[in-house]
Amino acid sequence: MTIAKVCVIGAGVMGSGIAAQVANAGLPVLLLDIVPPGVEDRSTLAKAALVKLAAAEPAPLMSKAAAKLIEAGNLEDDLKRLAECDWIIEAVTERLEVKQALYRKVDAARKPGSILSSNTSTLPLKMLMAGMPESLRRDFCITHFFNPPRYMRLLEIVAGPDTRVDAINAVAAFSDVKLGKSVVHAKDTPGFIANRIGVYWIQYAVNAAIEMGLSVEEADAVMGKPIGAPKSGVFDLLDIVGLDLQPHIDASLRAALPKSDGYQKLSADFPLLQKMISEGLTGRKGKGGFYRLNKAGNKKTKEAMDLKTGNYRPVMKVSLESVDGAKGGLRALVSHPDRGGKFAWTVLSQLLNYVAGLVPEIADDVADVDLAMRTGFNWKRGPFELIDQLGAAWFAEKLAVEKMPVPPLLATAAKQGGFYQASSDGQKQLCLDGRYKAITRPAGALLLADIKLKGSPLAKNGSASVWDLGDDVACLEFHSKMNSIDLDTLSMAKKAIEIVSKGMRALVLYNDAENFSVGANIGLALFAANIGMWPVLDDLITQGQNVMKALKFAPFPVVGAPAGLALGGGCEFLLHCAAVQAHAETYMGLVEVGVGIVPGWGGCKEMLIRQNAGNVPHGPMPAVMAAFEQISLAKVSKSAANAKELKYLRKADGITMNRDRLLPDAKALALKLAAEYIPPLPVELRLPGPSGKVALNMAIETYALQGLALPHDVTVSGQLANVLSGGATDVTEITSEDRVMELERGAFMALVKTEPTLARIEAMLATGKPLRN
Amino acid sequence: MHGYSAPLRDMKFLLFDILKIQDLANAIAAYGEATPDIVSAILEEASKFCANELQPLNRGGDEAGCAFENGVVTTAPGFKDAYAKFVEGGWPGLASDPAYGGQGLISPVNFAFDEMISSANLSFGLFPLLTQGVYYALKAHGTEEQKNTYLPKLVAGTWSGTMNLTEPQCGTDLGLIKTRAEPQADGTYKIFGTKIFISAGEHDLTENIVHLVLAKLPAAPAGVKGISLFVCPKFLPKADGTPGVRNAVACGSLEKKMGIKASPTCVMNYDGATAWLVGQPNKGLSAMFTMMNAARLAVGIQGLGVAEAAYQGAVDYARNRLQMRSAKGAKYPDKPADPIIVHPDIRRMLMRSRAMIEGCRALVLWIGQELDISFHHPDAERRQAAEDLVALMTPIVKSMLTDLGYAAANDAMQVHGGHGYIREWGMEQLARDARITQIYEGTNGIQALDLVGRKLPTGMGRLARRFFHPVGEYIEKRAANPFTAPHIAPLAKAFGRLQQTTLWLGQAGTANPEEAGAAATEYLRLFGLVAIGFMWSRMAEKAFKLNMSAPDEFYAAKIATAQFYMAKILPETGSLMASIMAGSGPVMGLKEEAF
Repeated sequence: MTIAKVCVIGAGVMGSGIAAQVANAGLPVLLLDIVPPGVEDRSTLAKAALVKLAAAEPAPLMSKAAAKLIEAGNLEDDLKRLAECDWIIEAVTERLEVKQALYRKVDAARKPGSILSSNTSTLPLKMLMAGMPESLRRDFCITHFFNPPRYMRLLEIVAGPDTRVDAINAVAAFSDVKLGKSVVHAKDTPGFIANRIGVYWIQYAVNAAIEMGLSVEEADAVMGKPIGAPKSGVFDLLDIVGLDLQPHIDASLRAALPKSDGYQKLSADFPLLQKMISEGLTGRKGKGGFYRLNKAGNKKTKEAMDLKTGNYRPVMKVSLESVDGAKGGLRALVSHPDRGGKFAWTVLSQLLNYVAGLVPEIADDVADVDLAMRTGFNWKRGPFELIDQLGAAWFAEKLAVEKMPVPPLLATAAKQGGFYQASSDGQKQLCLDGRYKAITRPAGALLLADIKLKGSPLAKNGSASVWDLGDDVACLEFHSKMNSIDLDTLSMAKKAIEIVSKGMRALVLYNDAENFSVGANIGLALFAANIGMWPVLDDLITQGQNVMKALKFAPFPVVGAPAGLALGGGCEFLLHCAAVQAHAETYMGLVEVGVGIVPGWGGCKEMLIRQNAGNVPHGPMPAVMAAFEQISLAKVSKSAANAKELKYLRKADGITMNRDRLLPDAKALALKLAAEYIPPLPVELRLPGPSGKVALNMAIETYALQGLALPHDVTVSGQLANVLSGGATDVTEITSEDRVMELERGAFMALVKTEPTLARIEAMLATGKPLRN
Repeated sequence: MHGYSAPLRDMKFLLFDILKIQDLANAIAAYGEATPDIVSAILEEASKFCANELQPLNRGGDEAGCAFENGVVTTAPGFKDAYAKFVEGGWPGLASDPAYGGQGLISPVNFAFDEMISSANLSFGLFPLLTQGVYYALKAHGTEEQKNTYLPKLVAGTWSGTMNLTEPQCGTDLGLIKTRAEPQADGTYKIFGTKIFISAGEHDLTENIVHLVLAKLPAAPAGVKGISLFVCPKFLPKADGTPGVRNAVACGSLEKKMGIKASPTCVMNYDGATAWLVGQPNKGLSAMFTMMNAARLAVGIQGLGVAEAAYQGAVDYARNRLQMRSAKGAKYPDKPADPIIVHPDIRRMLMRSRAMIEGCRALVLWIGQELDISFHHPDAERRQAAEDLVALMTPIVKSMLTDLGYAAANDAMQVHGGHGYIREWGMEQLARDARITQIYEGTNGIQALDLVGRKLPTGMGRLARRFFHPVGEYIEKRAANPFTAPHIAPLAKAFGRLQQTTLWLGQAGTANPEEAGAAATEYLRLFGLVAIGFMWSRMAEKAFKLNMSAPDEFYAAKIATAQFYMAKILPETGSLMASIMAGSGPVMGLKEEAF
């Protein structure tokens, strides 16, 4: 079956967020909620949700076009329209009788064979379906999204005993390909996978921090980055989730889990939390949580809750050797004798021990558990990967020494050498029977990591590699720190072009990293500038421009496949590709002005072309103005769809929703283009010259007078204006692509010799934020 | 031995013609007061004091050393009287804040005075040098009460100061210190522990001695983040500010050592001595660092001073010692032999010392001026730039000038032949005295690591920019000028080598930290030679111009010495570059067991 239209019932944060993600995928979606008593507009709840969606941060919607795909309605007047929908997602309040009453109404209105799923996080499927007709039971499952649905990749799907296999498959495939979710099949057990583990983790860590006398900052410093969790740790995570939710989640888990479950041993006695909730200190949505920003007295002071006194005090810098030493590995962290190390060991030993006893109760295999924690809690590594990092044998032995029980699965892993094994035919995981079996990705998903396991690169240096993707398609992978681009990256790009020219058909620019590229390596450039090595900088521009030209005019198609950040030089790489297949979450932009320079690798030139500066009838100024505004404001797209709106991407460029499908999609696009590829001809631009520059400069000066542009912005924008207006040309002359790049170089070299530019670069490297000077 | 006469002409040339201290008159008040008349008068008086009072005591001090009996240290004969005159003349507070009784003299002039003291009597100079260090530390980090109690006495010189860092088990690595401070109910602390190598730790020159001590508070973090700074006077000040009860700190013994024998190097025992916290708890090391630049520059000046004294002795000896005839035939046929100054190899040594001394003097006075700018200039950006430059150049100045001190003393001995090795001519004392300057206040190896490991990476080369950009622009502007080209071409070449090497170090050092360590000392020297070359170029250009309008042997000598530097010393940068670029392999290759 195909899913062509979706209905979401319940226009709360989760329901509207799920609806937004369906719309992001390009599908029409109906969002329904009840008719509150005494209102004029009977669809007011869903309509209000749409207004909130448009304003929410981080934005649930990827584009303006997506917003138009959501239709707001109500459960009375629009109930019959359920018949239009192939999948109906229920996301209403967590009360059994409410849900069941709704299901009866839905069942009467939906079309036969359509799927109904619940987004419940606490109610078991067997209770939801108790007393329901078999026809509904066959079409029903749980689809548990994580908040916010656009950004959290995990989707837990729970099938009931009567659920049709093809219904589950249809929901899973749709959620994977269209919604971009990592689908994990969970069992009908309390909290499913991620919350069962995550809630244990939070509850245990909070208890231990109080018991062991750690401050909230210290606990979060340990339970964040050092263990591969987000830096919010546990206390800040509670602030984000909402403190008031924790007692509910805790109570529902306690009620649902058997008395023998390890969770029951955790203390639920947390008077401070009760006190905070009763005072309205419910976290970020309330008056503050374990942290707050105190704005008293015209000052913004970040404060933290003192766990002993229950009062706020200024946030303290954490100084724990164990945290500093965690770079030496997880074992170094948990073995450290300071209180951070002891805390880490106490929490992790309990947690990992607990989790090791949960397979196969909550999931069929360990890889699913790890995937759930990675994608549902944004951990870098799941619990079994953490055990492997500690060393399964080492961990089991240490548990034994401390007289803690060692679950059978862990004992097996300790004997066999861990939960995972890398092999040339892919990553393998330990099964319950003690054997290792291959971990399979959903059909059609592919990561470069899979290719890497099977062979060696065609070429490699410290910053980039070239891989063979099969079918005569090569992949240029960046792998420097943050994928910043340096001379090594450029020389590997040249090498890639050379390799493909000798008998391959296409080149894909792709890497598995979170961010495609943060831009050129400005650290190297800054050092060279500081010691006055101007030829090095000139060379960096020349080499970059040569590579961009070679990519653009290559006799084969080059397909860029970005995900995450693609900024500055990274964006310029993509602007020179024949086509781009972008992950939906792609944040592109030419942000050079933030560090006091202008795009120097053809970024200015390509934006002029994108803005249609070859088009004489309209005159050159609109295109120049548009490019100027975009580059001088360093606009970064908020999604791939938004990148199209900003013209960083072209209309024909592709968007892939699931991160794990980006590489195969890009490769397919490359092969499609290669079938009859004709390289582009250089564009002949018509630029206004000095008269246009005067107009742009006037715009800058107006900004400066209004206080919108800082002193150095005026200098930088002045250089940018000179480049975009074409220098000493006029509209009767043709300006070549090469000429614009020459102007880019001139502007770059002039700016990089100025103190404020060097100060901006230095500040960016030191703080990650632009310096306003 | 030959007497000492301060190089006043060179000092004035640097202050007025090269640094143009008068140009800062409007920006910094103290520069407004430093008129040529006043500066000249101070330098004249200072030179007289050094030549007449301090230099004559130098050899006797070396021979008598300090006496130690029952915890009491007696300085060498004449020191007490000389120090009394030093105090009476107001010399201790020359550069100190007028608010505490000082005269607020600008640093470049004060540096010139420090050089004279070091030339005349290095051991004597250590007393005021340490007092100045304590003055700076308390001024920057002390409470108002501490400042009012101690600063006027230190400025007057009636109380002296010491720095207590080193312990038997910890020198460079201060994280290892054991001395502890126990908090008392009245807010004071009791210090327990032993400090070694404490210059002027105990003596009879002043009525009180103010010790600055690094110690650990109870439960302080491990390592350098757990060190606090304390002030601990020999006599606890009474309410009226005069010395009162004797504190529980005492000298246990004196070190027997190679040189600076008239300076007592003490083992100090703290046996529950009463002390007060200076600055924040556990921030002692950073408090010490704020005066580190000044202290390291001062030690550099000690090296320069010894070099000047040795050079003067060598020139005097070379003029008067008659041996053999000039290779070109007799130059003084009326004498039994020609003075050895006619011989090229003697000239080589004298020229080398002269070129390095004048270049280093220019360098350190420039940095002294930047030090003042970093504190007092009204423009914040200018202050920051100066602070960066001083931080960058401090390890270079310290190492280059102290290496010069030893090298020049060594060459001066060589000029003297056998007479250099015996006591009578004073050269061997200068060599022995100079040697410590390469070691204390951070060995020169540590200075080099500071440069490559700390100063270069700061702000990805921001500190370096304060040197590279002005020098690069200076060269670029003059490259085509036929008058300056002879000096600029070699400087440009050496500067290019420095740039290449710096870039290489930046890249190689990131990949392998041992590369930076292996290259550090040679890199510092390469940097130093370029910096001195820059100063020589400026001096030659100015001398050339002044010589055109008013010909003078001084200017002619400057130009000739500049040529020597450019032709005979600066080319060392080529071999240094080659050696640096050879990488750490040859240094680290030999197996440790094979040593």
